[in-house]
Amino acid sequence: MADKKFLDAMKTKFKEAPEEKTTTFYNMGGWTQSERKTEFVNRGKEIAEKRGIPMYNPDIGTPLGQRALMSYQLSGTDTFVEGDDLHFINNSAIQQAWDDIRKTVIVGLNTAHNVLQKRLGMEVTPETITNYLEVVNHAMPGAAVVQEHMVETNPALVDDSYVKVFTGDDELADEIDSAFVLDINKEFPEEQAEALKAEVGNAVWQAVRIPSLVGRVCDGGTTSRWSAMQIGMSMISAYGQCAGEGATGDFAYASKHAEVIGMGTYLPVRRARAANELGGVPFGYMADICQASRVTDDPVTSTLEVVALGAALYDQIWLGSYMSGGVGFTQYATAAYTDNVLDDFTYFGKDYVEDKYGGLCEAPNNMETVLDVGSEVAFYSLEQYEEYPALLETHFGGSQRAAVISAAAGCSTAFATGNAQTGLSAWYLAQYLHKEQHSRLGFYGYDLQDQCGAANVFSIRNDEGLPLEMRGPNYPNYAMNVGHQGEYAGIAQAPHAARNDAFAFNPLIKIAFADKNLTFDFSKVRAEFAKGALREFEPSAERSVIIPAK
Amino acid sequence: MAQFYPGTSQVAQNRRNFCDPEYELEVLREISDEDVVKVLGHRAPGEEYKSVHPPLDEMDEPDDIIRELVEPIDGAKAGDRVRYIQFADSMYFAPAQPFLRARSYVYRYRGIDTGTLSGRQIIEARERDVERISKELLQTEYYDPATSGIRGAGVHGHSLRLDENGMMFDMLRRQVFNKETGKVEMVKDQIGKELDEPVVLGEPLDEETLRAKTTIYRIDGEAYRDDADAVEVLQKIHVTRSNYGYIPK
Repeated sequence: MADKKFLDAMKTKFKEAPEEKTTTFYNMGGWTQSERKTEFVNRGKEIAEKRGIPMYNPDIGTPLGQRALMSYQLSGTDTFVEGDDLHFINNSAIQQAWDDIRKTVIVGLNTAHNVLQKRLGMEVTPETITNYLEVVNHAMPGAAVVQEHMVETNPALVDDSYVKVFTGDDELADEIDSAFVLDINKEFPEEQAEALKAEVGNAVWQAVRIPSLVGRVCDGGTTSRWSAMQIGMSMISAYGQCAGEGATGDFAYASKHAEVIGMGTYLPVRRARAANELGGVPFGYMADICQASRVTDDPVTSTLEVVALGAALYDQIWLGSYMSGGVGFTQYATAAYTDNVLDDFTYFGKDYVEDKYGGLCEAPNNMETVLDVGSEVAFYSLEQYEEYPALLETHFGGSQRAAVISAAAGCSTAFATGNAQTGLSAWYLAQYLHKEQHSRLGFYGYDLQDQCGAANVFSIRNDEGLPLEMRGPNYPNYAMNVGHQGEYAGIAQAPHAARNDAFAFNPLIKIAFADKNLTFDFSKVRAEFAKGALREFEPSAERSVIIPAK
Repeated sequence: MAQFYPGTSQVAQNRRNFCDPEYELEVLREISDEDVVKVLGHRAPGEEYKSVHPPLDEMDEPDDIIRELVEPIDGAKAGDRVRYIQFADSMYFAPAQPFLRARSYVYRYRGIDTGTLSGRQIIEARERDVERISKELLQTEYYDPATSGIRGAGVHGHSLRLDENGMMFDMLRRQVFNKETGKVEMVKDQIGKELDEPVVLGEPLDEETLRAKTTIYRIDGEAYRDDADAVEVLQKIHVTRSNYGYIPK
């Protein structure tokens, strides 16, 4: 019992011992037991008085707080917060994580350099690249370089916009002004750096950050357009081009289409979103955006940081708000990154795998391993809810439990085999085990994808199967189901974490987010969310310079 | 013989019992027709059923072989509207559990629509049929007044610890334990509207009975992992579904 990682949280959340099977209800003081709800009441009163329209009043509707309004511990941290503090509207760190992704586009310089060198006979050197980068870092936030009578953006509003480059060519990287370089050697452990540089080769890529405010006011589809426009103007300026010559069209084509990697793919019109929106971010991309893998050699931590990032972004923001509306998804999604529950289940799985197979990635990559590891971890996880009533009360919804149990089974199996597909298979197996053991699962969605998904794990057919790293929220059957996508991203990361791979799917994305200038630190996702909950996170793109001082 | 559910445990046997329409459910309490109507809250006792269409035999319907093959349920014949009863089942050994309800309902009842979540399980049918079904669900071993909740909305409680009287949490406190009588009373209808008079639902089942009748596997009862037959069948289903992606001939 002493080893259970969730027990400290349970002891803080409830007055009863975690093993206690009875409790008392209806005597908690309703919403007054919560500091945050009390704050909301007072704010609501002030606002209602000021605007003349009633506002927040928790005495309306369902009586809040008939049982303990429990706190939540951000997993992997010592921070306890109230549930409200993890709603993305109340948490500037969660918002910033999405801002930092949406404002990013990766654009190659290789086509442009080829045009300059081979078509126009111009010289491209580290010095000209540095000069271009100086120009584009002036222009990208929203400044003019080609015309003389232009309105421009206030630097204080767009200080999170910039451009850096990276390459696998150490010599070239050394010769470009270091202010503009994402230094792979410095940011990654040696083996990972070598693997990444080998993938990039001599190519030069730009990690472009447009202003966060642009993404907020427009949408993710704007990112590549804004970027391409400023890159085109900067090329013209830096290389002394004629604004109308044919080569500028090639620059535009390269930076808008040919050498552009968005963070998210375009979505079907029925979902009404452009590229670079969360619904188009593949799980392997999310795994690579998360940077824990370069700062820890613990595969569980590396994996569960991805789960946390995915749960907040896919569940809370994408499904919970873009797709569904409403406020309920926070309760559901946070189960995967609070109270060290998924951590406990996954460490159990990792230990089981190491004991049984002599190490990670040593088990046969087959169905026997799925049945063995998937069943064992699912049984262990289910039984913790039976043994510790406080845990069952913490994850009081079946969907929460289904997500966490299957994530643990999936990640552990991927640790065992070093393969995400067998991990995914264990996810589905765990769903069945849960359904039969407790005769319940989650909301209706679990009757859809979790019952038919096994048929598309190993067989790869158009629209009915893909390597997990390539699937995303937009994959058929995954598009509408909360409590899955962050966990799938974790299962996509798990085998690569176990193998100490440098990246899960796209090396360029992994490198682009190894960037200290990003406001959100993607190497410690849960700690950043905790800072946001504590109101200690310093976001960017605030509008204070253009609004009245308070 | 129909194979309703695999497994050699008592839980598996109980699941088979509920699913087998030939199995006679044990009646544990009497609840009058009037009290069932009160608990449901869809109409006042004695009030006429609301209709959404004329009786079928008064409708000039086109010839259709399905209509000839399928005998309408009573409520459909009469033109009743569709209504529901919804239960929340405690994970602390309540007799019926959500998917067991769904599976057994489709074996036992015609003309129904049922939906299953972790914390609530609904069955919908024409109103007079819902009343008939509800009476059976409330009087028999499907139901325990302490650990089974009749809840239209604000359902939560299935996973929470029981209170000092063994009652499942209900934020609307529809079912309350009367310490003087030792019986549970329903003081609000399933949606939470207060009743003029409480409906007596009977004594809570004792723990021994609950454990004997429950359909949930638990480590402190019967562990699912120990029911090797049930687990083997489940794993076979997983392998078969996985292989089906290759469309085996």
